[in-house]
Amino acid sequence: MIEAELQTLNFDIRGQICPSALLTALRELNRHRPSLKKGTVRLQFLTDNRDATITIPGAANNMGYVVEVKKEDSYYLVIVSPNLN
Amino acid sequence: MNNPQIILIACNLLLGLAAGFIMHRSDFCIAGMFRDLFLFRSTTMLKNLLLLILTSMILFEVARRSGLLFIFPFPLLGSASVTNLLGGCLFGIGMVLAGGCVVGTLYKFGAGSVTSAFTLLGLILGSFLYSEFHPWWAGLAKQTTIFSGRVTIPQILDVDPGVIVLIFAFVGAAWLVKEVRKSGLSRPAMIDNYLQPWKASLLLSVIGLLSFAAVGMPLGITTAYAKLGAFVVNSLGPEHVAKLGYFAGQPLNYNIPHLNLALRGGAGAQLDGIALVQFPLIGGIILGAFFSAMAAREFHLHFHVPARQYVSALCGGLIMGLAARMAPACNVWHLLGGLPILGAQSILFLVGLLPGAWLGTLVLTKTVLSR
Repeated sequence: MIEAELQTLNFDIRGQICPSALLTALRELNRHRPSLKKGTVRLQFLTDNRDATITIPGAANNMGYVVEVKKEDSYYLVIVSPNLN
Repeated sequence: MNNPQIILIACNLLLGLAAGFIMHRSDFCIAGMFRDLFLFRSTTMLKNLLLLILTSMILFEVARRSGLLFIFPFPLLGSASVTNLLGGCLFGIGMVLAGGCVVGTLYKFGAGSVTSAFTLLGLILGSFLYSEFHPWWAGLAKQTTIFSGRVTIPQILDVDPGVIVLIFAFVGAAWLVKEVRKSGLSRPAMIDNYLQPWKASLLLSVIGLLSFAAVGMPLGITTAYAKLGAFVVNSLGPEHVAKLGYFAGQPLNYNIPHLNLALRGGAGAQLDGIALVQFPLIGGIILGAFFSAMAAREFHLHFHVPARQYVSALCGGLIMGLAARMAPACNVWHLLGGLPILGAQSILFLVGLLPGAWLGTLVLTKTVLSR
């Protein structure tokens, strides 16, 4: 499946001052827009900021991406994947 | 220590625990509410804050009329002056740079935020530094006081507060119905144990009421920071602290009849009425947030953060500490306590807070978070 070809880019934004989590995510989402549109990358944000688990998916959804939030041991993983439809 | 004092401490500890837990679960960051208005044109959280203020307004007035409030208005809330406006503005700048307001910093600290520890340090420093120019600032406040002797808008206009609250209640209810219909108050959460902010608003208004009825004051903690600073400097050399008149002042001076307790106190390096009320509150908020973070398996200390953010946290805290003494008092005291009883000081504080938060957001994005 196409899933296997996805390159995962990790961004560790844990512990940062608000609103750094969202601003960093927005910056990276914009920077990697070409690859996201082509469907070759997936962005993963490691955050401990609860607010970011709402705002990042909100922004990413608005841009047309697929978002998943996973709970890891002491933080959250916000995974933004290209919309492959 | 006697029984009434222990009861008061327990009371404030419980109120703090509840507030800390609730605010952590719903990420009720008031600094973020104003900041995100300017940064992202986001208004959802501000609407929830409005719900909190409206609910508190109604609850407080009903309580007052029912005789549940043994003191009204509450102590340490004075007549309006230009210092409320200026203090509010400075506070707005500081809270955005710090990444959280005074209470926000506490619950984030309890949940494991290392930058918040720097903010706390800044808060204590700033609160203490205020004492160096207190006489001049207090003079300015006195010279620019308007409607001296009157604290609330109803008092200034000589009207029954119930009339004004009723108007706000009707307009507020109409607004609320409209918002609920389009889910304007809820936030789409993708994690477990997220407390919707509207629930937090309702709970916090009840907590505010309980504090007002039991202690005589709504939630407030910033004098305690000046006191902590006084303790530290006192241990290094009491002569300096003694020279600064601010620490000798005892503005807190009232009685709690149902506890048969007389509360006296100020910002000085002594365990007094201020310490009795605010220290347990501070401790409670930190602990409440800690429990919440632990229960949600979120507690962790992350140190790998850009250096600039530590600086921003410290400076923001310092500015906030100063502003909280200048205003006087912080956003929670004014927005959750003073505003619901239409305190003129609190209205001016809010008016100053807005441009301050705007400026703080500008500085934050252009310097601290720029690439």
